[in-house]
Amino acid sequence: MFISLQLLHMSVFSQSFSPCGRFLAAGNNYGEIAVFSLSAALSPDASQASQKPILNFTAHDGPVFSLLSTDTHLLSAGNGEISAWSWAELIKKVRVSCSVNDNSLIVGGGDNNIHIMDMETGIFKSVLKGHTDYIHCLCFKEREEEILSGGEDGAVRIWDSRTNRPVHCIEVFKYEECARPQFGKWISCLATDSDWMLCGGGPSLSLWHLRSMSPTSVFPLPGCQREAVFYQDLIMSVGEGPHVSHCLHGGTVKAQIPCTPSSLNTLALNLKNTEHRVMTVGGSSHQIDVFTNFSYRAFSLSF
Amino acid sequence: MSSDAVKKRKPKVIRNEAGTPETKRGRAEGEQDVLVYNEEVELEGRDPQQDYMLYKDTCAALAKLMAEIQELKSGGAKVGSVEMEERRRQCSVHFITLKKLNRLAHMRLKKGRDQTHEAKQRVDVLHLQLQNLLYEVMHLQKEISKCLEFKSQHEEIELVSEEEFFQEAPAEISRPHVTRDDHHQLTLARLDWELEQRKRLAEQYKMSLARKEKIHKAIEQKREYLSSLQPGLQNIMQASLPVQECLSMPFEQMQKQAEVARHLPPPLYVLLVQAAAYGQACGKTHIFTLNKTLSASISGDVDEAKALSRPPEDSQDDESDSDAEEEQQNTKRRRASVGVQLDDKRKEMLRRHPLSLCVDLKCKDGSVLHLFFYYLMNLNILTVKTKVSTTTDLSGAVSAGELLNSESLLNCLYASDHGQETPNPTNRYQFDKVGITTFADYVSDLGHPYVWVQKLGGLQFSSDGAQVALSASHMERTMKLLQGRLQARLALHKQFSSLEHSIIPISGECQHLFPAKVVSGLTRWTMMSYQEFTELGFVQHVLKAGLLRETDLFFMAVVERGTARLLAAVVVNPRYPEVMPLFSLSLHWKGERSGRTEDNLRAMESEVNMFRAELQGPRPGLQLLTNQIQRLCVCLDVYLETESQVCDGSEGPKEFPREKMCLRTARGPSRLKPFKYNHPQGFFSHR
Repeated sequence: MFISLQLLHMSVFSQSFSPCGRFLAAGNNYGEIAVFSLSAALSPDASQASQKPILNFTAHDGPVFSLLSTDTHLLSAGNGEISAWSWAELIKKVRVSCSVNDNSLIVGGGDNNIHIMDMETGIFKSVLKGHTDYIHCLCFKEREEEILSGGEDGAVRIWDSRTNRPVHCIEVFKYEECARPQFGKWISCLATDSDWMLCGGGPSLSLWHLRSMSPTSVFPLPGCQREAVFYQDLIMSVGEGPHVSHCLHGGTVKAQIPCTPSSLNTLALNLKNTEHRVMTVGGSSHQIDVFTNFSYRAFSLSF
Repeated sequence: MSSDAVKKRKPKVIRNEAGTPETKRGRAEGEQDVLVYNEEVELEGRDPQQDYMLYKDTCAALAKLMAEIQELKSGGAKVGSVEMEERRRQCSVHFITLKKLNRLAHMRLKKGRDQTHEAKQRVDVLHLQLQNLLYEVMHLQKEISKCLEFKSQHEEIELVSEEEFFQEAPAEISRPHVTRDDHHQLTLARLDWELEQRKRLAEQYKMSLARKEKIHKAIEQKREYLSSLQPGLQNIMQASLPVQECLSMPFEQMQKQAEVARHLPPPLYVLLVQAAAYGQACGKTHIFTLNKTLSASISGDVDEAKALSRPPEDSQDDESDSDAEEEQQNTKRRRASVGVQLDDKRKEMLRRHPLSLCVDLKCKDGSVLHLFFYYLMNLNILTVKTKVSTTTDLSGAVSAGELLNSESLLNCLYASDHGQETPNPTNRYQFDKVGITTFADYVSDLGHPYVWVQKLGGLQFSSDGAQVALSASHMERTMKLLQGRLQARLALHKQFSSLEHSIIPISGECQHLFPAKVVSGLTRWTMMSYQEFTELGFVQHVLKAGLLRETDLFFMAVVERGTARLLAAVVVNPRYPEVMPLFSLSLHWKGERSGRTEDNLRAMESEVNMFRAELQGPRPGLQLLTNQIQRLCVCLDVYLETESQVCDGSEGPKEFPREKMCLRTARGPSRLKPFKYNHPQGFFSHR
């Protein structure tokens, strides 16, 4: 009975697909990471059992707020430390924590700063200071090599990754079209697609043109959005409210697809693998909804 | 014969037969003749064949003559002419010849007959003689066989075998020189020997009988003596009763109990033995008093129990008689209706054994849990009824009405043991026969057939028979559970009466879990029924998760602060405090939110529901519910105070000024509030 009690109070905070696209890792508020096999869950003879994780382990003491996959490793971030797990080992249902190599990792932390770590050596290379409250979200503009960060203080800051200096600072709540004072000013989601940026949170979800630094469209979504992504010519976002919103660039909400959790924290698209092209969402529930056709929920994976 | 015929003339005359007048005339002439006419002699000389030929000739001649006469007559000759007369005379002569031949034939016939008759007679005589002889032979044969079959009585006597006889018998009886040759003598000798032996043995028998009589008399005397002692002993026992009580060694009582216990059915007996043993082993609260933690006693009608266990042979004769009587009665009486018959069958099936067991379980605070155990004979299950007696008067907590209700007090002592259905699978078939659909209908009357009760009586329904080992292993555990259950219920009772007065009773040991100042307060505590509970909108997730059952207890708590009103629907499992009560929240403040719509309320729910180790307080964890309610109040405080951090468009003073110390007010993508209280620093943080 304690298990069902646990499940009743579970929330999923983060997700990440494996490099091959066949597995999904999800992190919850108890500090556990569960690995699901998508190929098993999507196969024609899938059963109740294939919607359960193939591996479930405790990664951190506190909730696992962020999961990120590199080519070989799964990085998980909790309440203070970052762990790296080898995907190859996870798929084999063994968990071994080890160091990673290649590239650098950008970490936005609860200490209001952004840290950049060299993944080969594990040493923090530099710190980007500027936010006055903790950082909700980060994203990277590849072309210009710029880092965008959004935080609880309501500001979206753009940093140059080569020089590690702030380039811009946008205080979204100051813009009347987007601001929603009844909710607050924090920014909890950021996404960028070359010249465009999506941001939302306390203020409404809005699409910005980065060259001109002005909002072009504001989406009339109730509730605060926690994660948004660009997909083809659509914008998909999740947040408070039990649905995934599909929006068009013009600012209209095309559809709101209902889901099981009462509010959603994370949305992930599996674009690496054409066979298992799915969208998964998780939130205030022990269940993770899987969308094979993005217009409706196909089934749910369960912790 | 012929000589006789010669002598007598008269028979010859008499032999004359009716013939024609002419022949008569001829005869008269012959009479005067002295010559003897001996036809018989003539008969012997004649040849029958010749006579036959003669006859044929004569007939032919006659025919010829008749034909001639005819011719003449038809030729017109006159009657009386010479030729006709001639012919007529010749016809007459022929006629005479015929007559003679006829006579001769008759005589031959007679002669033959006579001869045959004589021969027959001779044969008959011989035959008769033969018969006589045969009869005699048969008779003799029978006699012989009878003689041969004769068994003398002496053969029935079983004699000792010959070898033994020759060995044992003294010489004057056995006389071997004579008897070895002569079988008859041998038999006689053996019989003699037999007779002598028998006489000897009869003597011995008489002597033994006399001895037995003597001994018998001696025994009788001694018995009388013993029975005369009995009243004396009784007196001593009576006199010793006060002494027994004084020394707290109730032998008398125990004996009586043991006597009655013999008539208990096996499961109740096992239960009694185990309970008494357990009570003795670990129960004594004080050495010098009779107050044990657990005491067991038998109540009920012993005579009925004895009647039940009487062996069936005694009543067989009665049965056959009563059967006959009943048949007669049945034809006279109207047969009872089917419904009544079925009812009777049901009553019979659900019959209780007349003896029942009463076990009293004392708790440390003096309250007593009375358990009455009954045995249903035909169903082979034990049931239990309960009663609680407390040292203090339990008054007034309205919401606590259900807590000590004897129907539900012992529900779910072990998980999912509701005691509504019989645990014995064979009862299913028995019920079908008499049309009982569920046992639950009879539970209030007969008691609850919990599984742990069956186990205490050693009845396990995967195998047969009452097993003592099963009972013993469960006794201690069950008794502890029962004590725990009673204590928990009593504690809850007390707590509820406090809660109804809007006071949350927090014991000293649990003060550290909460900040010194808690502003939100409990304003209402009521009990709800299962129906009402399931109709609430914000508890559906608990229903769907299967975390509540009809046997649970449901309550509604209302916590208020200022304009904010928090409704908490509480599910308390009968196994509290082993199972944590489950809270579901709904907040009415600037709109309505519930744990489903708002992540922070959900976080509050998990703060209250999940942390048993912190909240249960000192063992045995009876503070759990009150601590949960207090924590709920604290969380509401935090929620309301940190909520006002939002830059509200509306101006004006905040309704709930921030008083709690928090490291940070939001964390994570869902920006949860810090609900965890840290002692002794007194600030709030996130988990």
